[in-house]
Order: sequence, then structure tokens, then C-alpha cells
Amino acid sequence: MTEILQQIINGIAIGGVYVLIALGLTIVFGILGIAHFAHGSVSMFGGYLTFFLVAQQGYPLILAILVALVVGMVLGVLIELLAYRPVRNANHINAFIVALGLTMMVEGINLQFFGAEQVVIPTDAGRVFSIGGVTLPELRLYVILAAAALILAMTIFVEKTKTGQAIRAVAENRDAAILMGINVQMIPLIVFAISTALGVAAGVMVGSLFAIAPGVGEGLVVKGFAVLILGGLGSIPGAVVGGIVLGVTEALAAGFISSAYKDVIAFVVMIAVLLLRPQGLMGRA
Amino acid sequence: MLEIRGLRTGYGAIEVVHGIDLDVNEGECVALIGANGAGKSSTLKTICGLLPARDGQIRFDGHDITNRKGHAIVQAGITMCPEGRQVFPGMSVMQNLRLGAYARKGADIEEMLDMFPILRERAGQAAGTLSGGEQEMLAIARALMSRPRLCIFDEPSLGLAPKIVAEVAQTIARIKAMGMTILLVEQNSLMALRLADRAYLFEAGEIVLEGTGTELQTHPEVVKAYLGH
Amino acid sequence: MKIRALLGCSAATLMLVGGAHAAEKTLTIGVADALTGGAAVYGLPQANSVEMAADEINAAGGIAVGDDTYMLDVIVYDDKANPTEATNAVRKLIDRDGVRYILGFCCSGATGAVASFIEYEDAVMLVGNAAERSITTQGISNLVRTRPPADYTGAAAGAFVAKQGHKRIAVLGALETSFYASYVEAFEEEFKKSGGEVIAHEVFASKDRDMSPQLTKIREMQPDALLVVGYVEPAAFAYRQATELGMDVPRYGFTSGSEEQFLRVASSEQMEGVWDLRPTELTLQSTTDAGLAYHANYSERFGDAPSPSSPYAYDQAWALKHAIEAAGSVEDTEAVAAALRELEVFPEAVMQYLPVEGKMFDQNGQAYTANGAFQWQEGHWVFVEELPSDQEAYSRFLSTVN
Repeated sequence: MTEILQQIINGIAIGGVYVLIALGLTIVFGILGIAHFAHGSVSMFGGYLTFFLVAQQGYPLILAILVALVVGMVLGVLIELLAYRPVRNANHINAFIVALGLTMMVEGINLQFFGAEQVVIPTDAGRVFSIGGVTLPELRLYVILAAAALILAMTIFVEKTKTGQAIRAVAENRDAAILMGINVQMIPLIVFAISTALGVAAGVMVGSLFAIAPGVGEGLVVKGFAVLILGGLGSIPGAVVGGIVLGVTEALAAGFISSAYKDVIAFVVMIAVLLLRPQGLMGRA
Repeated sequence: MLEIRGLRTGYGAIEVVHGIDLDVNEGECVALIGANGAGKSSTLKTICGLLPARDGQIRFDGHDITNRKGHAIVQAGITMCPEGRQVFPGMSVMQNLRLGAYARKGADIEEMLDMFPILRERAGQAAGTLSGGEQEMLAIARALMSRPRLCIFDEPSLGLAPKIVAEVAQTIARIKAMGMTILLVEQNSLMALRLADRAYLFEAGEIVLEGTGTELQTHPEVVKAYLGH
Repeated sequence: MKIRALLGCSAATLMLVGGAHAAEKTLTIGVADALTGGAAVYGLPQANSVEMAADEINAAGGIAVGDDTYMLDVIVYDDKANPTEATNAVRKLIDRDGVRYILGFCCSGATGAVASFIEYEDAVMLVGNAAERSITTQGISNLVRTRPPADYTGAAAGAFVAKQGHKRIAVLGALETSFYASYVEAFEEEFKKSGGEVIAHEVFASKDRDMSPQLTKIREMQPDALLVVGYVEPAAFAYRQATELGMDVPRYGFTSGSEEQFLRVASSEQMEGVWDLRPTELTLQSTTDAGLAYHANYSERFGDAPSPSSPYAYDQAWALKHAIEAAGSVEDTEAVAAALRELEVFPEAVMQYLPVEGKMFDQNGQAYTANGAFQWQEGHWVFVEELPSDQEAYSRFLSTVN
């Protein structure tokens, strides 16, 4: 029992990271119908930047994260304006190719600026909390809390603010959104700013819990898309549920079946869900 | 209030509206009738900025609004209740209504719920789960939320049961009675001509006939081609 | 004299720079190693150390062959620890750059690929940190290796851990990498001799950074101790996550990571008490004067402490110098390869080699160092004691494996 609980706790922290990645992907997909492959590499850029600011410039961690979030937002806006907007009305394959090219470009930038060595963002959260045999490391607790706070903030933003509602409206019906007086040129910029900021947050979490290195971002974006498909394309609750399901499944699979097949088992679960619910866990039929 | 001169518009290589002139005066209800594909809906979309004009001019309140961005046209005071209702299906009735007021400050939802009591009953429900008639009411209410000065209806009766069509017609009549300026495109020509002060008959992207609603209801060509008796 | 100089010039790698009496020439040697990617923690310091050794050899007067003196020039290629990249890098060195002596080789996969064809080349291959046993069991006469095979160390480690009184050990490691698996196999064999049992074989891949699921599973089995076998980075995460899961059993390992490398991942508190059971390699406590000088020179030159395994490559360069001088030729690679196998341990060697029949490399081309038990104590790897190892016996065993 302790073991199952512990594995679930292990999985939730990872799931939180998946959720943040998937949220960024899902809002972009919802609004623009783009599979934004570069998202993982952009997240890693945010993680690297945070590491650079903390380890080499001596910034306090929180300040470094804030700077990285703001830089991430600007980067997101630039990506939309310079990369995706020009192919907006072209054939879908164009956006697809842009997304792939952008991934290579961002990976190249990361390599150029931050080098090929793995980096781990230093934190001083080293305590371990233990409740009845189940342990929760301080850092993982912060990651879970921060992910929960961001998910909550995102939900409130989308459901309760005018801009958030406009984003949803554009995702559901672009023409009708124009008729509501929504500036549909602005919305993608806002969406990319938010998406990238969420990605940066995920990058910081990966960088402090684990490590950032070339290739990590691509792995993460694959997981992000798996979550999207699992939860339902374009669905925000789907990203949340899908991310946690994936994280916990991976942990349970690694713990109870075999760590060697952790990724495989996670994808088997995804396929099983799709066979039973082709629209995803939270997708509309 | 709305003046259209020499308007041409179309999709891709195909032009579907070939230079039309059209006016809507303040407080008037104007209907556009004609066969499917005659260019009525394309004209409306062009007015609202969903489709670019290729030539000609659209003026609203004396200002040129040709090819302005859709959201700017809404801010100028034109709103459209689109064909097929186009409610936001995953969002609640209340959220749909609030979005109707997106372009202005505040939102007097209570007033709208009084006018459409059925929407009060469905307030928390996702719009996609409403019946066709209820969705039409929601689309109309949502359009009115922006407090437009010109309200455009694109095929409001399309796909609805006859009983609901009558309800929709009554609703539009009520809105007209409130003094709203209306531009209406409707397949159901009889319903349109009964509601309209004036009407234009579209044929193959051109206006071939113009007159008051009563005149057109009795015009032999209209009777033969569109009123079906 | 003139004729000899002309002959020298005919070889692409040689250059005439000398004056009228003794000709000073350049001998270009190659390094193929992982400079980027996950294995760069081993490969980059090795490449650095070859360059440093070359400069030191040059400063000490170069390599004397007959009347000529050769100055070393080093070309370094990145093989990313990838077999294809390594094959390409070595082909480029031999075919395009005309290089005959190739050093480096931190990682087994890439090394195995090159070893499979080096026999047919007019070249000598000197392998460093790559620990896969099969590299020196194929009787490749133009290949030598400075690092002992993993199972040589694994057996010593098994005996050591059994001596600590543990009975139930859980293994977590890169068991899909064959030399780590062979370490564990040899460990297990020794460990069982004293009645111990390995109760879990949990696996991580070299890119894994989250070992908590495996560790949670292990924690539930309540082992007496944990053995972590794998590359530095995943191993560091395993140590860190073990403490994060509240596991307080002794942690043993086989990683050969430097203090800096571990501290990038885990805090010193999280590392406290961890054992590393590995070839003695470079440690400041157990080291010779050559080792101390190496550490100081490397740190000064590269601004970073050398990794414990990096001297395997440094020693390659010096072994090559002595072998060429003994063979009296730079062109005759067969003679140089033979001379390597006759070489005695030389004073410049940083690693503490245990000779077999008085020679640094045995008849398989394999060198042996002592194995040591190191423990992390307050931020440093401290040499605690030597592990019981018998290089002569192992060398005989190695000759029987093919």
C-alpha cells in the first residue's frame, strides 16, 4: 500500500510537468491547429536561461525564474509573429515544416548559447517530508504546488477573464469570435506568450528535478503530444487529466512491471484509451 | 445608415457578387432574398469583415468601413447573427452571452434573459447541448448583447422546425419593434418579406429587383420563383 | 642525412622542420572520443589529457627515434560515443589525415565498433576508459587498453561488500550496457560465495533521470544495501533520489565520477557516505607524485579538475612515446604494437598499474590497476582501502575468454 501511494506521489510530480507542457501545446493547437513541436526545445531554453542566471550570474532562483518567464513570453510572441503567422493561411503542411524547422533552430540556439553539457538548476530544497512511510521531497512538493497553482491560474484565466473567454471562443469558432468583436490577430500572440511561459515553467521544473541536456526537450514534447491525444486535442481539462494519468501510469509501470518498458507501457495505455474513447478522456465526441 | 456601392466579392478565383448597390436606412428592416448561391450571405460576410471586398465601398454612418477588421466593424456598431447559429458549443449559455458583449464595457445579461426566458432556464448548460431553436435564440440574444445599431441576420430559420420558425419570426419582429435597424437574409422568402420594410432580390450575384416588402410579395416574378404559389 | 629526411617527407604525417644535423619532425596522432553528449563527462577530459600529455612530451624533448626527434601534434574528433560516428572519425584519421596512432576511446559501444576493423589497418589503437571486457579478448595485436575490464573490478567489489556483512543487496543500474552487466555479474558471483544474495536487478537507461519508481520498489524490499552501477549522471540522480525517498541503507556504486560531476546533480549531504568501488584511478589521497602533478597541471590548464578516469588517456600518450622509442620507428606500427606489449610501467604513469609478468600490458594488451574503495565524506571522495584484486589470475582468465 505504501508502495502504491509512493509510486503515485512519484508520478504526480512528473505528471505536473507533463500537464504544463501539454497545456501549452493544447491551447496553441486549439487556436491555431498547429502541432507546435518546438515547444519542448523552447521549454529547455527557459530552463537553460534560469540555470545561466542562477549559476553564472548569481541571481536568486525566484528572480531568475521570473526573468525566464518574461523572456519566454517575448520569445513566444516572436515565434508566432515571425514563424507561424506568415504561413497562417497557407496549406497545413507549411506550418508543420515551420514547426520542425523551428525545433532544430531552437535546439541549435540552446547548443550554441548553453553548450552540450547537461545542466541541473541548483536549488536548496533538500528536505524530505515523510508521512506514514510515504516520503515527499521538498523540491517535488514545490513542483507539485507550482504546477497546481499554474493550472488553477490558467483555469481561472480561461474561464473567468474576458481575454480567456476570447481565447476559448476563437478556439471553438473563429468566425463567430470575429463577430463578437474579438481581435483574432491579437489572440495568437497572447496564446503563444502564455504557452511559452508555461513551457518555461515546465523547463525549470525538469531542470531542477532532473536535468536539461540536448534532446531532453524533444522527448518532453513527445510526451506532451501523448498527453494531448490521451486527454483530447485542444481540451484544457484533458491536458490536466491526461498529464497526471500519464505521469502516474509511468511511475506505476516502472515500479510494478519494469522500468525498462516504462515509456512503452505509457503508450500502450494511451492506445488503449484511444480504442475505447477515440476522442480522448475529456474530448468531445 | 448603411450604404453599399459597386460591391464585388468572392472566394478564391470565383467572384460571387458582381457590383451591387444597397442601402439600409436607420430603423428600417431590409431583407435580401433570392436563390441559394445568389450572393446574399457573401454580401453579409463582406459587410462584417469576414470576407474581403474586391471592389466597391461599404459606408456605415458616413464612415468608410470597407475591409476593416471584423472586430473594428463590431465596435462600429454592426453585429451579425450568423448562419447556422455558430454558438460556442463547449461554453455555457451565460458565457456565450457575455462574449456577445465582448466589444463593449459591461453586460446587461438580466435584460436579455428577461427577453429570452428559455435561456435563463439553460443558463449554466453548454450551448452545444441546446436544441436548434434554443441555439437560435441564444445566437440572437448574443448578437444583441453588443448593443448594435445595425443587426444582421443570416438565415435565422435555416434547419428549424416550422413551429420554431414562427417563433424566430416573432422574435425578429419584436426586435424590429424596439427600433433596431435590421438587415435580413432568409431562404423563407415569405417570412422575410412579411418582416421587411424593403427588400432586394438577388440573382446570380446581382440585384435584379428592389421594392417594399409588400410590393415584392405580390410581384409576379417573385411569386413565381420564390413564394411558390 | 639528406636521403633520410627525404624519406621522412614522403609520409604524409611527417614534416621536415629540422636543421642540418638532427631532424626535428612532427608526428600527428589522433584522438577519437566523446566530446559532446552524455558520455562527454568521460570523453572530453580524456581528449584534454592527451593534448596535455603531448605538450609535456614535446616540452621534454619529444620522441627520440634514431637521430630524429618527433614533436607530437594531436587531431581530435568527436565520436559522441556512437559506433557510427566513431567508425567515421577513425576512418577520417587513418585515410585522410594519415594518422597511425589513435588514442582516446572512453566508451565501449564506439570502441567495439572501431576494434572490429582496426586489426586490418596499419595503425595502433590505444583504448582508455571503455570497460567492456570483449575489447581485449579478441587477440587484436595492434590494440592495447589502459583501463581494466569491468568484471575485474566487479569481482573485487563483490568481495568487499560481502566483507561489510551485508546479505541482501539491491542492484540499480545501466544493466542493458554489457560492461555494467558484467561488473554486476562478477560482483554477484563473488558476493554469493559469502552467502549473500542480490534481491533486485532494477534497470535505468543512460538518459533516465528519474529513478524514483525503481527506488521505491527497492525500498519496499528492504535491502541491506544498494548498489548503483552506471554513468555518473543517472547514478548521481539515483543517489539523490534514494535520500529523497528516505532510504538510509548503505549505498555502493561503480561510476568513477568526479566530485564536481556529482555535485552538479546532488548536494554533498545527499552524497554523504556513498561508496565508489572502482579502479583506483586518480585520487589525491592514494596518488603518486605523477598523479599530483597531473591533477595540478590539468586543473590549471583547463580550469576544471580532471575526471578520475581521464589519466587512462594521459597514460596512453606516454606509453606510446616509450613504445615508439623502444621500437625505433614511427612507421613500423607492428613493431610499435609489439613494443607496447613489452613495455614496463613507466615513471610518468598517473594510474597505478599492477604489472603482469613485469609488463604494463599483458599478452591480451590489457593493463590492470589496483581497485579501490572510495567513500564520499564531507564533499570529497576519500580513498579508504584497496580492494582485493588479483591481476595475474584475472589475466590468465582473460586469455581463456574469446
